[in-house]
Amino acid sequence: MKTQISFTRKLGYVTILMMVAFAFSPMYGQSTAQQEKTIKGIVSNVHGPLEGVNIILKGANEGTVSNKKGEYTFPVALKPGDVLLFSYLGYRSVEFKIKPETSFIKTVMSDEVIEFMGDLNTDKRYKSKRKN
Amino acid sequence: MKIFIRYTFLFIFVFQSNAQLADFNSINFEKADAIALEYEDETLHNLPDLAYKLTSNLTTDAARFRAIFKWVCSNVANDYYLYSRNKRKRLRYKTDSLQLKEWNDRFNKIVFEKLLSDRKTICTGYAYLIKELANLAGIDCEIVHGFARTSTMNIKNLDVPNHSWNAVKLDGKWYLCDPTWASGIPNPSSAQFEFQFNDGFFLSDPHIFSVNHFPADEKWFLLEDAKPSFEAFLEAPIIYGQAYAHFNSHNAPQKLENTVHKDEAVIFKLQLQKNIQKEDITLVIESTFRERKVKPTSVSIEDLSLTIGHKFTATGYYDVHLYIKKDLISSYTFEVKKAASK
Repeated sequence: MKTQISFTRKLGYVTILMMVAFAFSPMYGQSTAQQEKTIKGIVSNVHGPLEGVNIILKGANEGTVSNKKGEYTFPVALKPGDVLLFSYLGYRSVEFKIKPETSFIKTVMSDEVIEFMGDLNTDKRYKSKRKN
Repeated sequence: MKIFIRYTFLFIFVFQSNAQLADFNSINFEKADAIALEYEDETLHNLPDLAYKLTSNLTTDAARFRAIFKWVCSNVANDYYLYSRNKRKRLRYKTDSLQLKEWNDRFNKIVFEKLLSDRKTICTGYAYLIKELANLAGIDCEIVHGFARTSTMNIKNLDVPNHSWNAVKLDGKWYLCDPTWASGIPNPSSAQFEFQFNDGFFLSDPHIFSVNHFPADEKWFLLEDAKPSFEAFLEAPIIYGQAYAHFNSHNAPQKLENTVHKDEAVIFKLQLQKNIQKEDITLVIESTFRERKVKPTSVSIEDLSLTIGHKFTATGYYDVHLYIKKDLISSYTFEVKKAASK
């Protein structure tokens, strides 16, 4: 009797496991992959639109640059799961993962805060302050 | 089986700890260097594109990182004006954290503008660029802040970090490099910065590195054996850029200032990267009134371990400089006292 119960339980677990597995299966992924679309967006910092931000598709050499108004249209169609990387020297890079419902992206870039310092090396020969 | 595993571990962890640039001896960096040269006209306006151009045609992380390192060190100049302006302000606001923070924020903007418009910067700018480009190429890389010593520095002022360099992870192992010092040095007469790539600062051995680099976070020593104390670091001999081109470690004397007796042999011990001719080693001994170039009393090279012995023939106070051919390696001072009384 006891084994009987645990068997039905096991069966239940397996069913749940299979449902979960199917929910994330590549077949599901493929049906959404067909939803490729053109993505637009605007990039700004705390003061307003940011010109010259590099926007690239991670893992590919596809990209564009934001215009004077901070706007851009990504040159190739993107699908859910693609990651856009926003990069601009002096600002912290931002990554954005495309979702099924994404069509317009608003990105706010924050300053890269680094403490700058630096001593140069030199080949000048050491000279001690002699005692005698 | 147990023994096999134990020896495998021993082999992996012990035997890899010493080799640095030597780990990649089988890799030829000529292609990476040629790519870095090919893109010398690139600007910093599009880092992802630059990282792609520098690395996409190379097959190993070591070669990809080399192309990035070589490009940054050959194309970004040291800005002496920027450096001295920052140094002045940092000294002035040393005890005023609010003012210092305000200056840092302002200086941040200045540095990034300078990088974009002129491709000029100071150490942290080099370390930052290396890290960003490496990260864009999928390579793990960090900025390391800390203390560094050179021959002209007054170590009494060395109470706040004064230098930045990088740690990079290649094939699962961390390595050290100093892009600022690899890029070049100021011309001794004009004080103008000159590009002069020094390979020794690319994937340097952590032992030689620790002689004049002291990281704020001690894990970046990357030393498995004893790490030097800050006092020992301040007392260490002066080593120059060329030391990194010839040696993996500097073991003796451990101090810049030494006292010896006239009949006592002074021993210098350094670990070579590749063999040299004994005749190429000279000591330059400076006293108050004159400078002499001498051959040391004894030189031995065994398994790349260089041991130099020298006896001073007269009492006095000397600055001693070690040379290999024309390359200045290291400096020490010796106070030579009368022979120990018997």
